[in-house]
Formats: sequence, C-alpha cells, structure tokens
Amino acid sequence: MNAPAPAPVGEVVRHVAIAGNPNCGKSTIFNGLTGLRQKVGNYPGVTVEKKTGRFFGSHGEAMELLDLPGSYSLQVRSPDEAVARDVLLGRLPGTPRPDAVICVVDASNLERNLYLVAQMLELQIPVVVALNMVDVAEKNGLVIDLMALREKLGVPVIPTVATKGVGFIELRQAVSRTPLPNPPHCAQMPIVLELETVALAKQLPVAQEVARGEALLLLTLHEQAIDELVHHDRAIIAATKAAQERLRAAGIDPTSAPVEARYQWIGQICSAALHRSGLLNAVHPSDRLDAWLTHRVWGWVAFLAMMTLMFFCIFTVAAYPMDWIDAGIGALGKWVGDLLPESDLRSLITDGVIAGVGGVVIFLPQILILFFFLGILEDTGYMARAAFIMDRLMSRVGLHGKSFIPMLSSFACAIPGIMATRTIENRKDRLVTILVAPLMSCSARLPVYALMIAVFIPMASALGKAGIMLAMYLLGIFAAFAMAWLFKKTLLRGETPMLLLEMPPYRMPAWRTVLLRMWERGLLFLRRAGTVILALSILLWALATYPKPSNPDTPASEAIAHSFAGKMGHAIEPLIAPLGYDWKIGIGLIASFAAREVFVGTMSIVYAVESGDDEDITPLRDVMIGEIHENGAPVFTPLVCIGLMVFYVLAMQCISTVAIVRRETNTWRWPLFQIAYMTALAWLGAFVVYRGGQLFGWQ
Amino acid sequence: MNPALDQLLVAALILGALGFFLTRFLRKRSSGKACGSDCGGTTKSTPKIRP
Repeated sequence: MNAPAPAPVGEVVRHVAIAGNPNCGKSTIFNGLTGLRQKVGNYPGVTVEKKTGRFFGSHGEAMELLDLPGSYSLQVRSPDEAVARDVLLGRLPGTPRPDAVICVVDASNLERNLYLVAQMLELQIPVVVALNMVDVAEKNGLVIDLMALREKLGVPVIPTVATKGVGFIELRQAVSRTPLPNPPHCAQMPIVLELETVALAKQLPVAQEVARGEALLLLTLHEQAIDELVHHDRAIIAATKAAQERLRAAGIDPTSAPVEARYQWIGQICSAALHRSGLLNAVHPSDRLDAWLTHRVWGWVAFLAMMTLMFFCIFTVAAYPMDWIDAGIGALGKWVGDLLPESDLRSLITDGVIAGVGGVVIFLPQILILFFFLGILEDTGYMARAAFIMDRLMSRVGLHGKSFIPMLSSFACAIPGIMATRTIENRKDRLVTILVAPLMSCSARLPVYALMIAVFIPMASALGKAGIMLAMYLLGIFAAFAMAWLFKKTLLRGETPMLLLEMPPYRMPAWRTVLLRMWERGLLFLRRAGTVILALSILLWALATYPKPSNPDTPASEAIAHSFAGKMGHAIEPLIAPLGYDWKIGIGLIASFAAREVFVGTMSIVYAVESGDDEDITPLRDVMIGEIHENGAPVFTPLVCIGLMVFYVLAMQCISTVAIVRRETNTWRWPLFQIAYMTALAWLGAFVVYRGGQLFGWQ
Repeated sequence: MNPALDQLLVAALILGALGFFLTRFLRKRSSGKACGSDCGGTTKSTPKIRP
C-alpha cells in the first residue's frame, strides 16, 4: 500500500472540532492548544460566533481547531446549540464536517457530560475524549478508572487539567493519530426504534455515516419542532411523523426512548469506570461559598459590591490609559497640524480623522477592563450565581436571569450585550432583551454626560457630578426594566420560562483565557474604529464643512450654518424646539445618530472652538455656557442640559447597534421599531424634563 | 499647499469613505450578509426571530 503524500508545510491536514457542555473547560483547552493563532468570526447564515484556531500535531502537521458553542446535547434549544449540531452533521455552508472531535468532559460531573459524548458517537465521527478537571474530581472524592472508560467508550480518553496545561501533549498525540478510528460502540436503542431509525436514515439525502445519527435526532423531535424544520423537505417531515406514529403505536415514546437508552448505557459505563470514595459526602467548598453568595440578603450585598468594584475600575483605573491615549491623540493632531499648511486637508485630517477616530479609540481601556472583569466573573463560576440572584428581580418584569448578562455587557457597549442574548433560548425573551439592552448607559454616552454636567454645574464638587452621572445610569436601568415589562405585557406577551441553570464549582480563573478574550475584543473594537468610524468621521467632516460660504472670512459658526449639516440642523429645528434645543444642537443630534460620542466633537466644530484638543472639553464648556438665543436668553440652561442627558440616555443614536440588531433578528422590522420607540421615548423624556421643569418655574 | 492639490486630496478621501460604505454594502448584498466583517453577517435564508 502506498503511503499518502505528505501535505505541504503549513497546509491544514485535519479539521478538528472541540465540543462539550458549558463550563467544562472547552475554551481553556481551545486557547491552550491554539494560543494566539485564533480567528473570531461568525458562522455564515446564523448569528453565532465562530472561533477557529490553528494548532500543530505531534509531528508538526497543521490542524484547524473549531470551537463549537457549549451544548448539553444535540437536541437543540438555542441558536448556539443548533450550530454545534449542524457543524457535526456537516450541513453548515462554509464549514467542513470535522475529521475528528475533541469532546471535553468535566470529570467531576461525568454522568451528565457523557450524554453529549453518547450522541457524538452515534454520529460516527472520530472522537477523542478530553477528561478535564480530573484534579477537581479527585478532590471531590471521585476515582475514575481510565482503562475501563477507554474500553467502554471505545475511543481515546485523555485526562487533562486545562487551567494548568496538563494533558495537552497527550491530547495532540491522540488527535494526530492516523487514521483516527470511527467509534466502535454507542448506546443500543430499542429494536423497534432502531428499525425505524435505519428506515428513515435511508431516505435522508445525507452522507451515509451521519444518516443514522440524523434520523435519530429527527425522531426525537417534538411535533412543533418538526414543523419548524428548515433543513428537510416535506417528504422527510411526513416520513418522520409517520415513523413517530408507528413507534407510539408500538408503545415507544420516540422523544424519550433514545434519552433513556443513552442514560442506561452511561449508567453501565459509570458503574464500571466511576468509583466514589468516602470523601464524597463532605460539604463541597463551593456549596459553603454559595450559602453566602446566593443568600437572599448577603448574595445581593456581594453582588452589588462586585458591580461597584467593576464600575469603580472602569471609571478610575481606565482613566490613566485614557489620559495617555488622549495625550497621544492630541500630540498626533498637533504634529499633523504643524506639518501641514492651513488647508482643507489639514482640517479634514485633524478635525475629522484624528478627532473622530481618536474620540472612539479613547474608550479602548474601558472596554478592555469590562471584558477583563466579565472574563473573571465567568471563569470563576460567579456569573451563574449573578444570573441566579438577578433572576428574582428580572422575573418581576417578565424576564429571566439569563437576560442579566446581556444587560450588564451593555454598560460597556450594546453590541456585545446584544450578541450575548444568543444564549437565551426563548425567542420572545431574547427579543425583549435585544430591544431594551441599548437603554443601559454604554461607555459612548460618558463624554456626552461629562460635557453636559460640566456645562450644567461647572462649580459642583466631584461627588455632586458623580451623583448626576449615577442618576443617568439609574434612569437607563429603570427605563430598560419598564420597557421590558411593557413589551412582555403587550407586543411580546408570553410565559417567562423557569430559569434552569447549572452552578459550576468555583475555581481560579484561567488568566490566559481571560487575557485572550480581552485581546480578541480589543482587536475587534480597533478594527471597527479603523474602518467604519474612520470613514464616518470623514463624511461627517465633509457635511459640516461644505458648501463653504462665498466669503472666506466668514466666522466658523456662520460657515457651519451654511453647510449641509447646518441645513439639516435647521430642518429639524421645529421638531426639537419644544425641547429647548436650537439648530446647532440639532446638528449634534444628527451627527451623533451614527455614534453618540460624535456629539462632543460636533459641538466643538459647531461652536467654532479653537482648541487643538477635542477631548479637552473645558473651552467648549465655556463657549456653551456663554451661548445665548437671539432674545438674549442662555441656550444651555440647567433644564436643557438635563433634558439633553435624558435624551441621550433613552435615544438609540448608534448605527452599529442598529446593524447588530438587524443581524441578530434578521429583519429590518425590529431595529426600525427600536429606533422609533427609543427616539420617541427620548423626545418624550427630554420634553417632560424641559416643560415640566418650566411649569415649576425652573430654568 | 497648492489649493487644487488640497481639494483633490480632500475629494479623494471623501470619495474613498463613500466607496468604503458602497463596496461594503455591495459585498454584503452579494454574499447575503447583513453586516460587516467585524460581525460576520447573516444570510437571508436564516429564519427570522418570530415572537
């Protein structure tokens, strides 16, 4: 027999997927094997993040590793789980069916984790089991007989401790083995069910090796799920329903029989390979901690303390690197300003590109710190407890605890928040969370709040200013909860499902995983700033600069009135006049529709502030305080300033969020509805503040 | 700076920015995606979220 020709150096010789239950250490193993050779994207056709990386086998051969979303079984409940199933069945366009699967199993929870392995084996795909957290299992008093487990499963089983990098070499060796054998065993189904499965498999237009597994998955579907199938034609759906009818007539429930058969098989494996020592009955340290951290009172205290610490770091620790970036941007602007002669090009580069992109890049430290904290909270296992605690509060407005994480993420940016809704199985709950997540005050609102507070109460103490800032954040939270309640009572009425949540044991965070996640998010953020925000800044500058007045000595404030942006500001003036705003504020509102933070830069241009540093708002503040209407009344009264802040708390004003909502819902209907309701809410909020305040005789 | 060169460079940058959004839109349209490279996109065949 001829040996296969060696693959060219660097060419991927094997596609390997990594699968497992949530919280089993899958991502840590993925990061450990691939390091920085990772690529984050999306599966085409669905809204689930696709993470791939390259690693090298024991002979230096390149292999592509695909990180599948965490899943308890291949019976799909959420979009994430659907992706895992479709990849393994080889029916996701653009993603080849893996040549092998590393199935990560939490050794401390063997019985439940083996369920997914049982389903993998049915798909006739080479499987290598990474028996992770063997150290935790040992501490819990569990003794696993590896030889027995290997023999019963019929596949390689590699013990690992992912957080310490233990077992990675053996795992590489196991995956490098050529050829990787197909699994010899899987759970035995009742004979009638097996016959129906084989008969249905023959009708499926799929590869022979996956046909049985897919037929079994079809037969276990509930009636509604069968009706919603998109991958199969009517004949297959009819055949599935007919087979289910015959099974029921034979006294077999097609939805539960395979589950029972698999658990029976798992039971046999565990009785042979899993032994418990006397230590098992001792109270687990996680349980002792949970007595405090999920306590009705102390749980809230701990939760609020952790949130306070996170925000404290976001607003204080981030201030130092933000100052450095700010200084860097200022120096760059000055350098370019000195380098280029007075011209439109210089204005475009300094006022448009550097100020526009710099104004966004400055938030990078806050984004990194937020993801650092989220990574730690998730890796230690606390996030599940936080969701549990929040469930009590969320259920009052008709949401459940899983909506908490997207809403928390939205404090940094609504985009990762909305992406995090993918873990919510219930469609209505997911939609409600998507609709209200942008009401949480994201970091892009900070510069607007800071500017308005500076104009409103320039002489107030830091504590007073912080109080107003906090009030804006609380208003956002209150509005999000109120709107969620309203949507659940009207548009998206429905039962809130009970929160079923696994509480993983507490563990030390894997720092490498946390830092890699920060790195990924930082890169995505910078890529966006370098592309979309850059192009947008150039266009906004052009709108605020052209057409130019015929007289070149026209003051900047009159020149902007003459520009396209000025005309747009005048056009919307009748709409915003009831809020106490003039056309110049109108320009800021229009310009910041794309991104809220653009408001500060636009105000600088509008009020013709001669400042080389767009982030330094002091001169802008002084000009704004002195700005008056034609009748001599000040423009920025306290009511206008508070009204503007309220407007920015409640308004959508973020084109990227609109795009992400369009993508996540796959229709324009919901993002358009969201823009409409949030803009109406913002207008109403600002109107109530301004006119209501006037009724009380305030200014 | 020569005013003509100044205007030419400014026009090139503005057209470049417009071109960026146009090619992004056309690329997504042809591949059926709904957004840019940073988020991956969605094909039109994906079932919509229905309440």
